[in-house]
Amino acid sequence: MTKLLSVHDLHVDFATEDGTVNAVRGINCYVNPGECLGVVGESGSGKSQTFLAAMNLLSNNGSARGEINFKGQNLLDLPLKKLNKIRGSSISMIFQDPLTSLTPHMRVVDQMREVLKFHQKLSGAEADKKCLEWLERVHIPEAKRRLRQYPFELSGGMRQRVMIAMAMLCNPDLLIADEPTTALDVTIQAEILDIMDELRREQGTAIVMITHDMGVVARMCDRIQVMRYGEYVEEGAVDDIFSNPQTEYTRMLLDAMPRIDKPRLERKQPVTAPSKDSFLNVDSLKVEFDIFNGLFARKNVLKAVDGISFDLAKGETLGVVGESGSGKSTLARAILRLLPVASGEVSWLGADLMGMGKNQMKDARQDLQIVFQDPMASLNPSMTIGSSIMEPLRIFAPHLSKEERRQKVEAMMDRVGLPKSMINRYPHELSGGQNQRVGIARAVILSPKLVICDEAVSALDVSIQAQIIDLLRDLQKDMGLSLIFISHDLSVVREISDRILVMYLGNVVELATSDALFEAPQHPYTKQLISAVPIPDPVVERTRKRLKLKGELSSPLDSAARLRFMPSKSESLSAAQKSDYRPKLIDQGDNHFVAEHDPIEMLLVDE
Amino acid sequence: MLTYAFKRTLTALPVLWIAITVCFFVLRLAPGGPFDGERPMPAGIKANLDAHYNLDKPLIQQYAIYIGDVLQGDLGPSFTTEDFSVAEQISIGLPYTLILGGAAFVVSIVFGVLAGIIGALKRNSWSDHTLAALVLLGLVIPNFLMAPILQLLFGIELAWLPVGGWGDGSLRYLVLPVAVLSFPHIARISRLMRGAMIEVLASNFIRTARSKGLGSTPIVMRHALRPSLMPVMSYLGPAAGYLLTGSLVVEQIFGLPGIGRYFINAALNRDYGMVLGTVIFYMVIILILNLIVDLLYAWLDPRVRAQ
Repeated sequence: MTKLLSVHDLHVDFATEDGTVNAVRGINCYVNPGECLGVVGESGSGKSQTFLAAMNLLSNNGSARGEINFKGQNLLDLPLKKLNKIRGSSISMIFQDPLTSLTPHMRVVDQMREVLKFHQKLSGAEADKKCLEWLERVHIPEAKRRLRQYPFELSGGMRQRVMIAMAMLCNPDLLIADEPTTALDVTIQAEILDIMDELRREQGTAIVMITHDMGVVARMCDRIQVMRYGEYVEEGAVDDIFSNPQTEYTRMLLDAMPRIDKPRLERKQPVTAPSKDSFLNVDSLKVEFDIFNGLFARKNVLKAVDGISFDLAKGETLGVVGESGSGKSTLARAILRLLPVASGEVSWLGADLMGMGKNQMKDARQDLQIVFQDPMASLNPSMTIGSSIMEPLRIFAPHLSKEERRQKVEAMMDRVGLPKSMINRYPHELSGGQNQRVGIARAVILSPKLVICDEAVSALDVSIQAQIIDLLRDLQKDMGLSLIFISHDLSVVREISDRILVMYLGNVVELATSDALFEAPQHPYTKQLISAVPIPDPVVERTRKRLKLKGELSSPLDSAARLRFMPSKSESLSAAQKSDYRPKLIDQGDNHFVAEHDPIEMLLVDE
Repeated sequence: MLTYAFKRTLTALPVLWIAITVCFFVLRLAPGGPFDGERPMPAGIKANLDAHYNLDKPLIQQYAIYIGDVLQGDLGPSFTTEDFSVAEQISIGLPYTLILGGAAFVVSIVFGVLAGIIGALKRNSWSDHTLAALVLLGLVIPNFLMAPILQLLFGIELAWLPVGGWGDGSLRYLVLPVAVLSFPHIARISRLMRGAMIEVLASNFIRTARSKGLGSTPIVMRHALRPSLMPVMSYLGPAAGYLLTGSLVVEQIFGLPGIGRYFINAALNRDYGMVLGTVIFYMVIILILNLIVDLLYAWLDPRVRAQ
């Protein structure tokens, strides 16, 4: 078979102030017509740079050597004018972050039209018709209206659909997708992957799927190429690689990925059901934000957290999952009083946390710590990591001498797996995983009782993710910590949690032990979430059926959206009643709570 | 959009009031008055004059009368030019100042933006470095030095352009004053534009535009230009202020009959009415320009429009 695209001995170098960085070192690979090639590797593997080089999209300081053949032409030697005839027409590309990848001040239709105008000399009504046709093919609701909208008016999933529609306008032979679903929620990811699969089948477009997610690969790809540090690791058919990886690295990648369809890697003794008045009790907590639209318009109240109650026992790990906009991070910050609370109570070791004065609260903070998502951005760039870890000691243990503090910091660095020699380094000199270890060291150096991890591993590679989770687990065992572990990634939450709370638009829809939730989910939303998670096993993936529910994640400003899973109730209530009604949480026994909902059959999308 | 403009105008009123009040009292605190010449006036005449212009009343009462007049749109009489009211004098000088300032404003933007785009696209080339050197010159040479240098070179040595004056109002008379007035602003705007453009060109949506196969002209003009103008926009408000104050000096040097010349003379002669009137007039112009800039923001960024 003639190859559609073949890469021979590709090198990509970046000239930086610290000398030349060799991002890609002699890569060979190829794409057959109509196939889906998965290009897998962790950050720094050069997987994106390989294909950015093919499109001549490297940043200014980058240069590529070697050969990239497409239809008998070497793309690397092609003059820009000729390459421009190919880019966007025969080969097109979509990117990770659909918001920043669309021009913010241009309407969707204008951005799409210019592709047609440049490549096919189409304009006017004919071009508009084609744009509309493609928006409909990627299943954008109300496509006609979307044409006139700006990117910021669309949701993340819709923006990525626009990107895909725009990339497909000229029926390309090859679509390069660079982490196309990494920034999206699982249910949206599932929809985007479905669309791409459909396009491949119907149009015969070959797809290069660049991703770190083995689940996505298992779901989409025919063949895989694994890369590491800019070098080739292995290549083969998807089933072969998954069932019988030839290299240690690939095996490690596969093993590091937690699977929701297999028993958990390590089961600890589950913490017994929390008794009331024990440790942390959250009762009907509400957080509201005022949103102003227009100058004299009424203010809108966004109910980010809309009456959440739960208890946490000492040493327990509570997982909180939900999609973006579900209010999970707001909940975390509200519990720690990093945000003003509208109403509700939080009792901490029997004391009312919300009613505490400034000094009392400061004392309480010793025991209440938080680890944030973006490790680099959460550390002060002008402080060495040593002084970042030491800062809590300065505030809460002023009696310690400088030397004692330094010893404590070194001991803690050792504990979280950072070499002591790094004490005077700055955050930008460390990797993401190392920075997150700093964040954890800073959080636990005062031996707190509760640590909230707000998407603490979401920005990290899977292998690093697994290490950080192990670290958290060890610390929990040694120090008796309680954890609230917030993530949009269900498989990670399942690994670490004793119980899991599922949030939807500021409300709890289900609360159960980790095993019960995944083995016998009750609420349709939970079921949908679980079915959307890709499983890193191509055989399983092919036979799985994804649940599609009516409607999409709507805005928390839309008060009726909370009744999405109770259409029967929604019909029987007036508009005013609708906005006040909250599905009640029903005790199913065995610490399993489920919000009221209609039977799932009523909610499925008709197919 | 209209309500926004209205609201902005309302919030500008207190600023205007504070400025008038400060000017009013600072001027009165300065030693001397409009009728203190080298030769003292007979006491009787001075008393009559003071009474005519309300200068014999307590300061606070004078202030109340003045504010009352301003609220009715009356900027009062000039204290030193008997036959003209302040409003009349301003309207005599206004066309010259507006033409000069307006031309300098447009020239600053056009040349500044163009130079910025060239600097960003030809980064670190000889054209970029030449522009950077010119910018430095524009920033370090003050206008009262720049003006005589240009007059000497183009007016006397080469004799291409008139040294000063308004003449028949043709373009030739405008070239030098506009050049002097706009040079430092071209310099600043080109720097702002260059920096913003370089940043925008490195952003994800430009990568997308390149991946669509677009050439560099549509990428710059359609995708990169508007977001790059943002920092330039925020400079335009203050730039309008600098242009007006700069025009005082430039009008004086080139002997142009604009408001600036009256303003300087009025300040030297303690013509309270004239100084205050000009200040109010300048402030209103600057407020209007700032409002226009804010409305332009909305044009540049649809997200601003939605708020």
